[in-house]
Amino acid sequence: EERKRTEEKEKEEEEREMACMHDHSCEDHDCSSDWSLYKHIDLSKVSALNEAVPGSAKSVFKAWENRLNSSEGQLVSNEGDPELIVFIPFTSDVKIKGISIVGGADGTSPSKMRAFINRDGIDFSDAQSMQPVQEWDLVENLQGVLEYQTRYSRFQGVGNLTLHFPENFGGDTTQIHYIGLKGEATQLKRDAVANIVYELMPNPSDHK
Amino acid sequence: MVLEATMICIDNSEWMRNGDYSPNRFQAQADAVNLICGAKTQSNPENTVGVLTMAGKGVRVLVTPTSDLGKILACMHGLEIGGEMNLAAGIQVAQLALKHRQNKKQQQRIIVFGGGPVKYDKKILEMIGRKLKKNNVALDVVDFGEEEDAKSEKLEALVAAVNSNDSSHIVHVPPSSNALSDVLISTPIFTGDGEGGSGFAAAAAAAAAGGVSGFDFGVDPNLDPELALALRVSMEEERARQEAAAKKAAEDASKGGEQSTSQDATMTENVAAAPPDAENKSNDLMDDENALLQQALAMSMDDPATTAATRDTDMSEAAADDQDLALALQLSVQDSAKDQSSQTDMSNLLADQSFVSSILASLPGVDPNDPSVKDLLASMQSQSEPEQKNNEDKAPKEDK
Repeated sequence: EERKRTEEKEKEEEEREMACMHDHSCEDHDCSSDWSLYKHIDLSKVSALNEAVPGSAKSVFKAWENRLNSSEGQLVSNEGDPELIVFIPFTSDVKIKGISIVGGADGTSPSKMRAFINRDGIDFSDAQSMQPVQEWDLVENLQGVLEYQTRYSRFQGVGNLTLHFPENFGGDTTQIHYIGLKGEATQLKRDAVANIVYELMPNPSDHK
Repeated sequence: MVLEATMICIDNSEWMRNGDYSPNRFQAQADAVNLICGAKTQSNPENTVGVLTMAGKGVRVLVTPTSDLGKILACMHGLEIGGEMNLAAGIQVAQLALKHRQNKKQQQRIIVFGGGPVKYDKKILEMIGRKLKKNNVALDVVDFGEEEDAKSEKLEALVAAVNSNDSSHIVHVPPSSNALSDVLISTPIFTGDGEGGSGFAAAAAAAAAGGVSGFDFGVDPNLDPELALALRVSMEEERARQEAAAKKAAEDASKGGEQSTSQDATMTENVAAAPPDAENKSNDLMDDENALLQQALAMSMDDPATTAATRDTDMSEAAADDQDLALALQLSVQDSAKDQSSQTDMSNLLADQSFVSSILASLPGVDPNDPSVKDLLASMQSQSEPEQKNNEDKAPKEDK
C-alpha cells in the first residue's frame, strides 16, 4: 500500500510538473515563485540592440502573472529587421535553469535564440561570429507556457546574460512581450574591487 | 554629461584647399575639430575622442579614442591634403574603432566633416545609416565646403537613417566670414542632445556671441569689466553723436550757416567735452577747452567755411547733451541763415558775457570767477592773440 501511495504521489508530481509546463491554471503560485529571477535583474543596465523604442527592453522582465500583460510596452525591433540582442545584467550571480519567451502574433515571434554569458558589449557582428553557450529553436508561444531548459552546468555563475534572436517567423519586425528566467540566485557578486587600502605594516586597529 | 566615445572623421581631400572659409577650408575644419575635442573631454572627464582621415591614400586612423587632449591636438599637425574623401569607408572604420573602445559603457558617436563631394549613392548611405542605428551608434554630420546638388540630400538621408530619438544631427554651414567653429558652437553637435550642454559649450557660446570678430572692443568683459564698460559707453556716445551729426548735417546743408556753426561748434564742443568725461580726465579737458577756444578764435579769423563739416559733428554732440546749448545752437544757426555776416553774430553771442558765463558755469570743471577764465572771455571778445599764451599757461593750474 505504501508503494502504491508513493507511486501515486510520483504520478501526481509528474502530472503536476507536466501541468506546470503545459497548463498553468492549477499551479500558478508555484510557477510564479519559480520564475522569480527577474527580481535579480539590474533593470537600469538592461539594454537592447535594434530596438525600435530605446529603453523598451526593460518592459519584458516582469512577474509570471503579468507575462501576457503588455501595458507597459513590449520589445519591438526596427522595421524590416528582425534581429534583436538583449543584454541582461544581474545584481548577483545566478544559476539559470530555464528560459521562457512570449513573442508576438503574426510571425513576429522569434524563431531562434542564442545565449552568451558574462560577455560585455556584444553587437550583431560579434553575435553572429561567436559560438553561443547554448542555442534553441523556438516555437510560437503566445501563452507563455513553454519553458526552454538550459544545460544547467553551463549556466552556473551567470553575471550577465546576452540573448540574440537572429530570426523570426516571417514577420516584418520581431516582438517580445515577456522573457522569463527560472533558476536560483546566489549571493555572490561580481563587482570590481572598489576600495583598496594599502598597508605597509598590518595594524589591527585599522580593521576594527 | 553623457559618457561617450567619439570618432571624428576629417576630410583632407583636395577640395579642402579652397579659401571660401577663412583662412582655408582645412584650417577652419582643424579649428572646429580642436574645439569639439575640448568640449567633449570637458563635459565628462571619462569621454574619449579619436580622429581619422578619410582622404589621402586611404582611410587612416590618426589616434584611437583617448581622453588625452594633447595627443589629439598633436596628431592634427602635419596632415597632408590630397585625394578624395571616402565617406563610406571612413564611417565603417570609425565604427570599428569605436567597437574596440576600452570602456564598453561609453555611448558611441561618429562626427563626420563632409567637405568634398560625396560619390556614394543615397541607397548605400542609407544602408550604412541603418547599420549604425542597429548598433546604437549616433552620427553627427557637418556639411560644408562643396555644395553639390545631391550632396546635402544624401547626407540628410544618411542622418535620417541613423537617427533614433534625436541623437544624430546634421549641420549645413555655407561659406561666410564667420569661422566654422563659431557657427558650430551653437549647434546641437556642441551642446549635446539638449541636456543643458556642458559648461565649456556654454562659455564658448557666450564668448562667441560677445563678438564673433573678437570681443566687442578687443577687451574681455570678464577680465577687465571697467575698461570694457568705459569703451562701451564711449562707443555708444560716438554712435549717438554720429546719428545726430547725420541729422544735423542734413539741416545745416540746407541752411548754409557755416561760419557761425563753426564758432558755436567749437564752443559747444568744449562744453560738451566736459560733461561726459570721467573724473580723471577733467584736467585734460580743461586744457583742451582753452586750447580749442583759442583755436576757434583763430579759425574764425581765417576761414570758418573749411571747418564747417567737422564742426557740425561737434555741434550735434553738444546738442545731444545739453538742452540749453541746443537752444543756443539753434539760435545761432537761425541767425546765420538770415545774416551772412555771421561772424558778427558770433561775436555778439560771445560778447554776451552773461550767456557765455552761464554756459561755462554749467561745466563741471570750470569756475567762471576764475581769473584765467575771465581772461579767456576778455580775449575772446577782444580777439587778441597775446593773451592766448597766458591762458595756456594758466590752464594747467585749473585743477578742479
